[in-house]
Amino acid sequence: MEFKDYYKTLGLARGASADDIKSAYRKLARKYHPDVSKEADAEARFKEIGEASEVLRDPEKRAAYDVAGAQWERQQAAGGGQRGGPQDFQPPPGWDAGFEFSGRGDAGDNDPFGGADHSDFFEALFGRARAGRGGSRGGGTSGNARRPDTPMRGQDHHAKVMIDLEDAFQGAQRSISLHMPALDEDGRGVMRERTLDVNIPKGIREGQQLRLAGQGGPGLGNGPAGDLFLEISFNSHKQFRVDGRDVYIDLPLAPWEAALGASVSAATPDGAVELTIPPNSVAGRKLRLKGRGIPGNPAGDLYVVLGVALPLAESAANKAAYEAFAASFEFNPRAPLKG
Amino acid sequence: MSSHLTATLVDDAQLTLAELARACRAAESQVLVWVVEGVLQPSGESPAEWRFAGASVRRARLAVTLTRELEINPPGVALALDLMDEIEALKASLRRR
Repeated sequence: MEFKDYYKTLGLARGASADDIKSAYRKLARKYHPDVSKEADAEARFKEIGEASEVLRDPEKRAAYDVAGAQWERQQAAGGGQRGGPQDFQPPPGWDAGFEFSGRGDAGDNDPFGGADHSDFFEALFGRARAGRGGSRGGGTSGNARRPDTPMRGQDHHAKVMIDLEDAFQGAQRSISLHMPALDEDGRGVMRERTLDVNIPKGIREGQQLRLAGQGGPGLGNGPAGDLFLEISFNSHKQFRVDGRDVYIDLPLAPWEAALGASVSAATPDGAVELTIPPNSVAGRKLRLKGRGIPGNPAGDLYVVLGVALPLAESAANKAAYEAFAASFEFNPRAPLKG
Repeated sequence: MSSHLTATLVDDAQLTLAELARACRAAESQVLVWVVEGVLQPSGESPAEWRFAGASVRRARLAVTLTRELEINPPGVALALDLMDEIEALKASLRRR
């Protein structure tokens, strides 16, 4: 397991003050917040930063981490010939003797990161459920902070689901794999994968939420389970762009189709349609197909954005055609730029 | 472990104050403050009658993150979310071209 240098993650020295930690965290959190950041690895970095700050901002955890870190450094130094890279970290047995955690380790209500996001390193040091802390390994699963006899509703969980635009037109059934933290028989935190078959209703739009009642976190003391919320997002599509309920597609035309009008076939998320192009259509013109956007009440519209593609003059015949074309017009596209 | 489940679409005006607060793991009093600041716009007159659109869940969760992680106060959260909306609208207008 890799030893994580939480100080380095936040760009801090070991003796950093609580204020330094707070301020370093805030700056990095702003930079890597997944909703704001343009960095490719923003989400992974945001989690690392969150984990580092969760440990270093909590005086108990920070003290424990510092002890583990010092021991690890001594091991590294003593190891000499042994090739002990940072990936060889194992918490020494009993390293945490004498630390009493106040039970905030298990991604409590105040912890926006959720238990699922902690690294193996974090879990090796701080565990997940904090059950039986203080020597009695594998003890009961009753957390230190909550009385087990108080029924408590489980937390709502959230996940993002990517679907195709076509799914919103036709409705679909999707298998969704979710990694959820859970407790095994010994009350230790493990990651479980579960697959849910979910019906995606026709007419769903980006940003909408699906709620699966009772599929969130388990309740405590006979409390009901929380709900699972799925946020819908569309996979990006080569041809279709979506804005709310409306869908946009680009349709290239030959110059003569744009000028003379034509009947052309266009692919839409709902299948091909036959479109009448009015004569003298210019590039950028939008044709609206009312109610052919994402279905619903009201349904969205489908916009066909016209473009004009120019064939290259390659053969002698092509060139002659362009010359005849030029000869039959008094046309200067730069006229509006003059004067 | 696979199970077949029917999901409910959380459409407009569906979530109560308590449900939204639970979904974004914030106190109801905190959600109330955001409504007052205009971060969230429920339908209904009094807090007991408020109903929030499904899309509020994402917005409220973002407000929670901004509040907890960046220690932004409610007017700041409102400003940040307004600016994010504006960026979204601009991106959407680029897509319409």
